Formats: sequence, C-alpha cells, structure tokens
Amino acid sequence: MTQLLLFNAFNGLIQGAFYALMALGLALILSLNSVINMAHGGFLVIGAYLAYVFAPYVGFAGAIVLGPLGAAAIGMVVERVLIRPLYKRPDPLYTLLLTFGLALVIQDLTRTIWGPTGLPFEVPQILASPVSTVFFFITGYRLLVVALVAVAVIGLFLLLRRTPLGIRIRAGTLDLETVSALGVNIYMLRALNFALGCLLAGLAGVLAAGVLGLTPPMGNSLIMPSFVAIIVGGVGSLVGAILGGLLIGLAAGITTTFYPAASEAVIYLIMLIVLVVRPRGLLGHEGLFE
Amino acid sequence: MMRDERLWMALGWIVLALAPWWLPWLGGYSALGTKVLVYGLGVMALNLLLGFAGGLSFGHAAYFGLGAYGAGMTLKYLAPSTPLALLAGTVVGGLAATAFGPLVMRRRGIYFAMITIAIGQLLYFVAVRWNEFTGGEDGLAGFSRQPLHFGGWVLDIRDENKYYYVVLVCFTVAAWIMRGVLRSPLGHTWVAIRENRRRAEFLGVRADLYIWAAFAISGTFMALAGALNALLFNFTSPQDLHWILSGDFVIMIVLGGMRNFWGPLLGALIYIVAQDYLSSVTDNWMTFIGLLFMVIVLAFPRGILGLLRRRGKAAA
Amino acid sequence: MSLLRLDRVSRHFGKLQAVQDVSFEMNEGELRAIIGPNGAGKTTFFNLITGFVPPTSGDVWFAGESIRDKAVVYRVKKGIVRTFQITEVFPDLSVYENVRFGVETAAGVNGRPWLPRAKRLELARRTDELIEVVGLAAKADRVVSELAHGDQRVVEIAIALTMNPRLLLLDEPTAGMGDAETDHMVDLIRRLHSERKLSILFIEHDMSIVFGIAQKITVLDHGRLLAEGTAAEVSVDPQVRAAYLGEEAKA
Repeated sequence: MTQLLLFNAFNGLIQGAFYALMALGLALILSLNSVINMAHGGFLVIGAYLAYVFAPYVGFAGAIVLGPLGAAAIGMVVERVLIRPLYKRPDPLYTLLLTFGLALVIQDLTRTIWGPTGLPFEVPQILASPVSTVFFFITGYRLLVVALVAVAVIGLFLLLRRTPLGIRIRAGTLDLETVSALGVNIYMLRALNFALGCLLAGLAGVLAAGVLGLTPPMGNSLIMPSFVAIIVGGVGSLVGAILGGLLIGLAAGITTTFYPAASEAVIYLIMLIVLVVRPRGLLGHEGLFE
Repeated sequence: MMRDERLWMALGWIVLALAPWWLPWLGGYSALGTKVLVYGLGVMALNLLLGFAGGLSFGHAAYFGLGAYGAGMTLKYLAPSTPLALLAGTVVGGLAATAFGPLVMRRRGIYFAMITIAIGQLLYFVAVRWNEFTGGEDGLAGFSRQPLHFGGWVLDIRDENKYYYVVLVCFTVAAWIMRGVLRSPLGHTWVAIRENRRRAEFLGVRADLYIWAAFAISGTFMALAGALNALLFNFTSPQDLHWILSGDFVIMIVLGGMRNFWGPLLGALIYIVAQDYLSSVTDNWMTFIGLLFMVIVLAFPRGILGLLRRRGKAAA
Repeated sequence: MSLLRLDRVSRHFGKLQAVQDVSFEMNEGELRAIIGPNGAGKTTFFNLITGFVPPTSGDVWFAGESIRDKAVVYRVKKGIVRTFQITEVFPDLSVYENVRFGVETAAGVNGRPWLPRAKRLELARRTDELIEVVGLAAKADRVVSELAHGDQRVVEIAIALTMNPRLLLLDEPTAGMGDAETDHMVDLIRRLHSERKLSILFIEHDMSIVFGIAQKITVLDHGRLLAEGTAAEVSVDPQVRAAYLGEEAKA
C-alpha cells in the first residue's frame, strides 16, 4: 500500500511538473500578451513531434534541446502573423478563438502527418531502467525529467530577474504603456515572450513524450489542468502557477491510489474549493484581471 | 425599423416551417435542419450572456451536455416520457448554471473565461468516469424519444419530420421568451453592465447579481437545447460537454454577429452546414474548421450581421 | 435651510493632505462653484461628498442626516448625484438607451424581465422628457460614442438627472469643449438651476463661467478652504489673488 501510494504520488509529481511547465508558459503569455493561449497544447505537440523527428540525427540529448526551440520558433511566427493584428482589440474573445482554431489545425495536421496512433519516443536504455528495485517506478528518465524541469524553472526565474529582457518582460506585465514610453520595442518584447512561453510548452512536450508516448491529442489532456494550475496558484503569479501545477498533479496522483475514477475530477474540485475559499488563488493579487 | 424586423421574423419563420419540404430538394435532410435549430437555440442562449451581458463563457457546453444527459437518463432510467425528459434536462442544466454562477459573477474577461472553461471540464470528467450511469467515454445510448400523447391523440415524433416541428415549437417559444427578456429592464441592465460596469454600479446596480441571473437563464436555455439534441440522436456522449464544443458555440456566435439577437442562429446555420459538408468530403475537416476560426477572427470580427449593418449604414 | 454641510473634514492619502479641516455649507437651491489651482483638493472634496472616499476625520451632513459612513449608492438614492471629470457613459448605446437605463434604475425596475404596458409607457415618457430637457431630442437615436464630446457630456448629465438629484455635482462640466459647446453647457446648467430648482455644485477652471453663473464661490488651495463669497467678494480677496489669480496672471 505504502509503495503504491509512493508510486502514485511520484507519478503525480511528474505529471504536476508537466502542468507547472505548461502553466508557466501560459501565465507568461497571459500576463504580457493578454492572450489565453488555447493552442498551448498544440505547441507542446509540436515540441514533442519535432524532437521525435530530430532524434535520429542529433541523438536524444540534441532532440531535447531542438524540439522546444522548434516550438519556440513556430510560436514566434504565429505571434507575428496571427496574434499581433489582434492586440488592438482589447476583448480577449478574439485571441481566445484564434488560438482555439490554431489548436484544431495543429492537432489535425499532426494526425495527418504522423498518423492517429501513438508513436514511441525512444529513451536511451541507460535512462529507461529503474534506479532501485524497491522503488521500481523511479527510472533514470524520470529523475532527468524532474531535474530538467527544475533547471528550466530556475533558468526562467534567473532570466526574468537578471537579464534586461526578463526585467522588461516583468515591467511590461505591470505597465506596458510606460515600458513602451521608455523606448522599449514592445512588439519585439511580446513576440519574444510568446516564444518563451512556447519554448516551455515544447519542453513539456518532449519530456512528456518519453513518459506517455506521442499522440496528436496529447496536448489536450495537459492544457486544461494547466489552466486550473493558474487559477489555483493565482492569476498573475508565476510562482503560483508552479505551485498550483505541482499541487494538482500530486493530488491527482494520490487520488489514483484510492479512487482512480476521480483522479481527473479532483483537480477541478480543488479549483472550486480554492475559488470559494480564496477567490484570487493561493498567491494571486487583489484586483488583477478582474 | 420595428415593422421591418417583424416582417423579417415572419418570413424567416415561414421558411423554417416549410424546411422539411425544401431541405431535401437542396440536398439536406430533416435531421440537419433540426440540428441547426437546436444549436441555434443553444447559441442564442449563450449569446444572451456573451453578447448582451458581456460574460465571456467558454464552458457553456457543460450545460448543453447536462441537459442532454438529464434528458437521456430520464428516458433510460425513470420514465418513457418525452416532455418529462426535456423538462428534467432543462432543470438539471439550469440548476447547475445557477449553482456555478456565483463563482464567476464578480470576474471579467480572461478570468471569467478560464473559470468557465475549467468548470466545464469538471463536468466532462464526471460524465466520462461515472461509467455505470453515463456510459463513460462511449456515451449514453439505449434510450429513444417517445410519442407525444395529447389526451387520446398521439403524435408519433419518432418520425424525423414530426420531431423537427417539436423542436421548432420549442425554439420559437424559447426565442420569444429570450427576446422579451432582452427588451425588458433586465435586458437593458445587462447591456449597461457590458458597456460600463463601473458606471452602472455607481447608479446602484449590483452588477454581480445581474451577471448571475444572465448566467443562470443562459444555462437553462442551453440545457433545453442539449436535451433536444439528445432526443434528436437518441444518444449523447461526453463530447457534448467538452470545451471543444464550447469553442464551437462561441465561434458560431461571432460568425453570425454577437450584437444581434438573431446573429447566432445564422452563425449556427453556416457552421453546421459547413461542418456537415466538410466532414463528408475530407478527412481533414478539422483543419478547415480551424482555418475558418482564424479567418472569422481576423477578417469578420463583427460577424455577418454586423457587417451587413455596417454596409447598410454606409449606404444610408 | 442647509442642504449639505461638511464639518471640519480632512482626508489624507498617506502623507498627502488632500483636504484639510474644511467646513462647508450649501443651501437648497444654490448654484455654487468650487475653484482652486491644480492639486487644491477639488476632486477629493467631491469624492468626500459623494462617498467615493471616506473622510479621515470630520463629518458630512446631507438634508439633516450624517452620511459620513454611507456608501455611494445610498447617497445616490438620497439625491447626491455626480458626473465625472472623464466622461462616464455607455458608449455603444444610443442616447435614448443611455437615459432609459437611468430612468429604469431610478424606478427600481432593473431586475424585471417584464413590465406592464402602462409602466413601460410611463418610463418611455420620462425618458423622452429628460432627453428634451437637455436638448438632445434630435439626436436621441444616435450612438453616444459617435457624438461630439460636448454632447457626450450632456448625455452624462441626462443620466444624472434620471436619478432625481437634489444635489447635482458636476466635475469640470466644460472641460475640453469648444466655445459653442461651452455656451450650450452653461445655458443647460443655468436652466437646470432656474427651471428645475436644482441645487448644483460644480468644479470649473474657466473663470468667465464661474463668475458668470455661480451665486457663490468657494476657493480651495492646498486642501484648505481659502475663501468663500460672491464673485465680487472672491475676486478682490487678497489671499485668493495671491494663491490663485496670481498664478493665472503668471501663466
């Protein structure tokens, strides 16, 4: 029982790490681009399938780097061509619908190009085997996932706090007009920010592919919990998005042990409880995005 | 202008009433016509919240699906009565919308959309996982709409054409009620809140309570549409609660014109016929639908009726 | 009889003393102007009267009742109605729809999904009447956002009138207007005062308007009450000249 609980809790944490990566990217795009990116799951899929395509040429490690970079590059083009014309319309409805349509296109094209059935994403043998016989579920790959997510998160926070780009992004989320008045090219800033969000989605995709395999709708099952992670953590807070993602992942994992049928619903129940008890989310700010 | 609108409404209604005759002639079929009316009713209900009160719900499929499951499960487990099934579906969906309304009524824009999406997904997973009653991923089957009894006279609505008229009657009554509400002080208050919530609140209007009312009423009529849809196909599945359907609803509204009462019906007509046609000619219909989304957003944000109205103004 | 009375009212924002120890009294039926240089505390003064901010100390009386702790909405129901420095209307609705919403709100029927015919006609008549009063009858069906700025401000006054004000507060009613628009607004204020017997308190920068129509003028400076009196009295007050008119002379 204890082992089963640990197994599920660890699975939940891995899942939560994916949610957190997705939620971070969504939250970045939400706060600076004011876009609810419904295509975020699509960028996850792009990252995963690009890694699958690159892997035979550049090896596993190279694919883990190139997949997300490819997603980011495509994200930048999408932002430039499709989303930029919509910034002048303040109603979030339009970008929501646009990215929604984009999500459908990405899913359908993925299915057409690589087929509707799942594809395996080969993990090197050395990473695929368990590190201990007692904790059979802890493979080298899963440890790598945890490590890479941690590196990505720390990297992101260093970027936001220490680099000129990151400081501008943070300032832009607070007051875009002022940042613009200071001579910052806010179009470039938002394009880079969108690409950064897609990079995180792509990374989540590559890492998830090694655990769950590749399927065209794989993004769909990850994007909704990521929204919930943001709502639970508090809209406008990046730390909240990580916390929310890990929390609901863990909760879903633990619920699987006792009542598997409710493992998805529990995520949304947590959200409802948070909304009732603390409407702004765990770390949300008063009045933001009201 | 008033008289103009009445004339158009009368004409439109006659065209709808004769649909079973002219539809086959155009290569359509009654069930397609019924589907347009059902979805039209649903998106007009959603537009009451979205276009008039300004509440961006991206999870309204939840109430459509609840109406469908409510009706289907009533027929399957409770009683073989069509009116009871429709009533039960409508009430279940309406009550759910009333219960969830307070969670979003103080929110706006992005936050409102995200929370409504997530609430919809909660209900989706309940339908998927509560196998014994809902049929899980495979959907709920094993029920069928029953003949209507009026005293001694029986109307066998298992016939598709006759069911079309049942839906047309429901649609007409529901549209008449919604139109009345939107022309009442309640409807005026919703529009005022959409336009300038702060200003309305300074005048003493409790905006959150009115948004709640809009959410509940909108959810109720959406549930009626869901119930009618379940009886149309004698089937429902978790796809009827999924966020993808919620997105379809919203694009139908934008396509037709969200500032117009009848716009969503027009949007539903075009969208459903296009979907029906595309899925019969290409496997990649999803790509075309997705591209349609983008074209509408980038090129026709005011929708068809919005565009026509603009043209009219420019000409006059 | 005094309609509005402020008793040694102060309001701080952190270290900033927006309004300091101001006592003020205004009678029923009076047309009063508030003037003062930028940052004198005029808008805060308005916010204290309308309840948008509570006073740090002191008391506010309206029609014999202390309203110090009452919410904005309560004060609106009692008849304290204001317009804003930045026009606050319902931009995508017609003039008629803007005013009708106010009329329905004042009648307390907002939540009704249905109205009897008689009531509907009564509210429509009231809407028409108010649009007539402010002189927008010819533009009743126009969308407000497409009207000239001056007309938009008139719509805002019409919305305020729907609430049956006893005291109407106008925050810079002619700001940003051309000459013709200003004349129209001044005429409207004068008519509301003389024909409808409204008590009106307004903030204004244009001295020709203030001296032209106000019966009495209150001068604020750095949050303090500097002077009070008729146009003739205020214009010769040495303190006012130093603080306010002097500044204008320099500019």
